[in-house]
Amino acid sequence: MRLLSYLGQRLLFVAPQLVGILFVSFLLVKLIPGDPAVLMLGPFATPDGLARLRTELGLDRTVVEQFLIYLGNVVQGDLGTSWQTTMPVTSDLAQRFPATLELVTLGLLVALAIGLPLGVAGARYKRGLLRTGADYYGLLAGALPDFWLGLVLIYVFYTMLGWAPAPLGRIDFAVIPPEPVTGALLIDSLIAGNWEAFRSAAGHLVLPVLTLGLINAGPILKMTQATTERMLDSDFSRYAELCGLPRKVVVAQALRNALPSVITIVSVLYGFLLGGAVLVEIVFSWGGAGQYAVQGVLNADLNPVLGFVLYSAVLSLFIYLIVDLLYFLIDPRTR
Amino acid sequence: MAMARDAGARARGGSRRLAFFMAVLRTHPSFALGYAIVLMVVLLAIFAPWVAPYPPETADPVAFLQPPGWPHLMGTDATGMDIFSRVIWAPRIDLSIAILGTLLSALIGTTLGALVGYYQSVRGLGRFGAGFVMRSADVLQAFPVFVFAIALVAVFGQSLQSIVLAIAFVNAPIYLRLMRTQVMSIRTMRYVEAAWLAGMPDWRIIARHIVPNAMAPVLAQLSVNIGWSVLLTAALSFIGAGVKAPTPEWGSMIAMGYQNIVTGHWWPSIFPGLALAVTVFGFSLVGSSIEVLSDPARRRRLAGRLETVRGIAP
Repeated sequence: MRLLSYLGQRLLFVAPQLVGILFVSFLLVKLIPGDPAVLMLGPFATPDGLARLRTELGLDRTVVEQFLIYLGNVVQGDLGTSWQTTMPVTSDLAQRFPATLELVTLGLLVALAIGLPLGVAGARYKRGLLRTGADYYGLLAGALPDFWLGLVLIYVFYTMLGWAPAPLGRIDFAVIPPEPVTGALLIDSLIAGNWEAFRSAAGHLVLPVLTLGLINAGPILKMTQATTERMLDSDFSRYAELCGLPRKVVVAQALRNALPSVITIVSVLYGFLLGGAVLVEIVFSWGGAGQYAVQGVLNADLNPVLGFVLYSAVLSLFIYLIVDLLYFLIDPRTR
Repeated sequence: MAMARDAGARARGGSRRLAFFMAVLRTHPSFALGYAIVLMVVLLAIFAPWVAPYPPETADPVAFLQPPGWPHLMGTDATGMDIFSRVIWAPRIDLSIAILGTLLSALIGTTLGALVGYYQSVRGLGRFGAGFVMRSADVLQAFPVFVFAIALVAVFGQSLQSIVLAIAFVNAPIYLRLMRTQVMSIRTMRYVEAAWLAGMPDWRIIARHIVPNAMAPVLAQLSVNIGWSVLLTAALSFIGAGVKAPTPEWGSMIAMGYQNIVTGHWWPSIFPGLALAVTVFGFSLVGSSIEVLSDPARRRRLAGRLETVRGIAP
């Protein structure tokens, strides 16, 4: 019951927050110099044609009016069209957002697989080679530029060893991609039972996922180590130890209590990476949502940027809700 | 009174402090490594014109894509510019942007944070303003950081000042929040109440009594943040929204060599990235040393350990 009223309160704030974020992005993109009408019609446009297009796009109205019109369209599920791709933003994003999601989700899973065990081990053994290694890894992962690490991996595993496929998109050109259902190639090819496409998509995922995983394991490691260590130092762990419980059980108990903060950092990373994975996307020519937004910003293409901001804001909100539900599951005190 | 005592202690403790600091460096080689890296990068930034063997923006069209060796230590890029010289010149741009941007963001963030923290619990206009600032910070932080930074650079026009401003904007909320929480707890201290009762104006209370006591976490954040800003600058330049091409800058150098990686010419991209990573690593090591040294409890524990080992304490 407490859960439901809490969720209700949260959802109440969602709409005004979204409008606020959209309005600020709207203003921001409007401030970028560059007239979409001129960019769309090219250098040979007549002044007459420009004026007509501006009226058509609503560019002759005030910014607030334009924003209200946009908002009205959004409510009806129309996010406008991108003049660069000449496609509706919804269909563009339907294609690109799953690509980014697939990449980021798998990347964070790898990051968890590296960061969590290392963090626990580092908290358990306060001195020694393992701890020093974990400490240095945490600092180093935060210092590496992800786009550069991606290039290094490409050089080693594609150019030198030839193990990985060329860093040109999500699937081989020669392979027919599966019918889109979820948009995530791995899942879609499994649904279609298309093994060739699955193998190709998986092969293309390895390097970018590894890049994101190696870098983002850093913050997960630090958080896991710091919290588990604090839990091991606290009274309940000492008590458990004094009762003669084996060290393994005590550590497992400490980890369980440290999990909420680990989940928090993962959710923060998730929200950050929706836009932050753009550099890795560029290096691997991924064609993801981040790239789409960046292209929009660089070419004064308003609708893709707003669409991206809207999608990622809604998704982050959704993730935070899931995180809250997970807290309820993990921590009996919140029930 | 307190200030005078403090100054006296500082004069007496100066040499002991230095001895303590050196002892910490000896027992924590990673901190020493951090300071060494940062010192080296700063020195390179200052003395680049005298250290670099070649001019950084002059291309030798005959000697393009030369592998690392002699006379081009790190080889040359696709246009024939000497990579070693460019890597040495780059911190001039990268560090200046990062340091200026971080300082600016700290200035904006801590000022606003101090005001917000101080006036938040006061009724009336102050509280309204504080709420407005915090909600604005929420909205700013809801943006995907990188897209936001690119948009800011696009709004201000692509120049060095714009990158500095973008970095300042993106980072300011961090300092705002840090300072606000600090000030909120310090505000309830007895000495602040005493100053207020003695009739001190608000701005003097904030400047004299609150801000100096709230600065420690900000200082620790600064160093880490400079490293992070170097990364952001390089990332902006990498996608072409930052420093423009012939200017020696690590990110744009990586971008220039990016096409050559697949053909096996790794050096135009790998070396600048390595320099970038080492620099950021150095700044985060310094940051973690400041974190340890500015935390009284951890410093005491450290001092205790050092005293038992060599009889040195602050």
